[in-house]
Amino acid sequence: MATLTIPKTQSVYTHEELVDEKIIKWYFAAALTFLTTSMLAGLLVSLQLIRHNPFAGIELFSPGRWRMVHTNAVAYGFLANGFLGCLHWAIPRLTLQPVLDRRLSWFIFAAWQAVVGATAAGILLGEAQGLEWGETPVWVDPVAQLGLMLVALNFGTPIARMKGPMYVTLWYFMAAFIWTPLTYAMGNFIPEYFVSGTSAGAVGGLFIHDLVGLFVTPLGWGLMYYFVPILIKKPIWSHGLSLVGFWGLAFFYPLQGIHHFLYTPIPMFLQYGAVVSTIAVELVVTTVIINFFGSIWGNWSIVRTNLPVRYFYTGMVFYFLTCLQCSFQVTLTFQKIIHFSDWVVGHAHMVMFGVFSMWIMGMMIYLFPRLLKREWASQSLLEWHFWLSTVGLAVMAGDLILLGLFQGWSWAALEPWDASTEFSVPFWAIRAIAGLAMFGGLIALITNIFKTLKAASANA
Amino acid sequence: MNRSGAWTITIVFGVIILIPSLLGFAMKFGELITLTKNVSDSGGFAITPVVNYLLASLGFFCLLMWAALNGMFRDLEQPKYNMLENERELDRNV
Repeated sequence: MATLTIPKTQSVYTHEELVDEKIIKWYFAAALTFLTTSMLAGLLVSLQLIRHNPFAGIELFSPGRWRMVHTNAVAYGFLANGFLGCLHWAIPRLTLQPVLDRRLSWFIFAAWQAVVGATAAGILLGEAQGLEWGETPVWVDPVAQLGLMLVALNFGTPIARMKGPMYVTLWYFMAAFIWTPLTYAMGNFIPEYFVSGTSAGAVGGLFIHDLVGLFVTPLGWGLMYYFVPILIKKPIWSHGLSLVGFWGLAFFYPLQGIHHFLYTPIPMFLQYGAVVSTIAVELVVTTVIINFFGSIWGNWSIVRTNLPVRYFYTGMVFYFLTCLQCSFQVTLTFQKIIHFSDWVVGHAHMVMFGVFSMWIMGMMIYLFPRLLKREWASQSLLEWHFWLSTVGLAVMAGDLILLGLFQGWSWAALEPWDASTEFSVPFWAIRAIAGLAMFGGLIALITNIFKTLKAASANA
Repeated sequence: MNRSGAWTITIVFGVIILIPSLLGFAMKFGELITLTKNVSDSGGFAITPVVNYLLASLGFFCLLMWAALNGMFRDLEQPKYNMLENERELDRNV
């Protein structure tokens, strides 16, 4: 059978010529800054829920606004910056081609921080757009859209220059560079300027879900397919199966968003279509999980000894759980109980923190020593970070998912709304404590980075 | 199994599954479009998400066809070995 692969001798560049390590450090610094902001905002909101808001009555610190800062800072500040940093490492090394232009990379970096900063400022000043996870003020939207298109151009060029069959990671990346600007445009411009009412709501549902499935998911899985084989020092179990996962995502995911609007005036055959495609994605996800667990089969001790691998596989377990949960919660039977409840909040935290944040943390923990040319200053702080993050997230998600069921049953029994907020307070207190643990983990990581930097500069 | 046998089975399964599914979807979508034409207020709310989905899927269907015709799936497993080999090569020179 003909093999159309790139001979490795095609690479005329060295690592230094391919990878701009400085920009990766800056992206990681920005990502961690926004994660700190987001987690502080989350803590503020959690204090409001247990009626201990230290800033009560101050408009600028109103929990409604800080909740939006919390979600936007995670999506566009932490995840986007974290992914962009990792892409600057992965794409040039995978394609053996540098990005289109390093100056463009730095322009995108600066512009993106301005976009995220302006979004936070706009939200706090009451300029939020009425779209969940798309609250970016309307005057920021065109800049963000342009930024995403420039990202696609800068990273898409080395991928386009490749010849022959592509590794699965590049399929995922290429799709993300097409999907993300389209998703952003669909969510931020169509409901704002072209459609209204239920139609805008339906597009909003597609936007929320596609932002997870067509921006975060392909970048996350693409990076896993890149980093996991390198760390476990063996190829992915089946490259063919990985392509099944990619194309399954491509065809099943875009129809899912309507599952946010079950029991609405949207025609039932479309609602059923969304339910069926969501369950179909769970089957696709199972193939991906089987592939990764098949890759590590017989070498389980590496999960204990290699911290980045532990982060990656912990994230995969959470991913499988969230998708399994998703395939149940999109059914009409489940929706009757859990809609509008804290179940959804628990689910969202399990996806965003348990999966994608854990993966980015794992990649940072692998890359920081390589970028700083020095081992981590403290292994024990890394362990603290992992366990506080994992246990904190597991407690928070479990607590909120359980609370969601109690809330749903309470509402279904037609009990007064006040009753559900009363019995929710102890659960929200546990959620605040779990959030504090996760924040403690972040502090451990940042302390470790500073200690490592200090040691690196002392040795320089 | 030889190449032509694999193609035959793929096409047969594709026809059995895809044609009834596509017919069913097209019929329901056609009914929906007819329905929205007959109501006084805008019925576009039901059409918008489907059109979004169809456009996205059409793009990826074209990409899939392009990839298949350009030999992207001819040797499915080789890219995973090349990736690791390239990594080793790059790290050797650091």
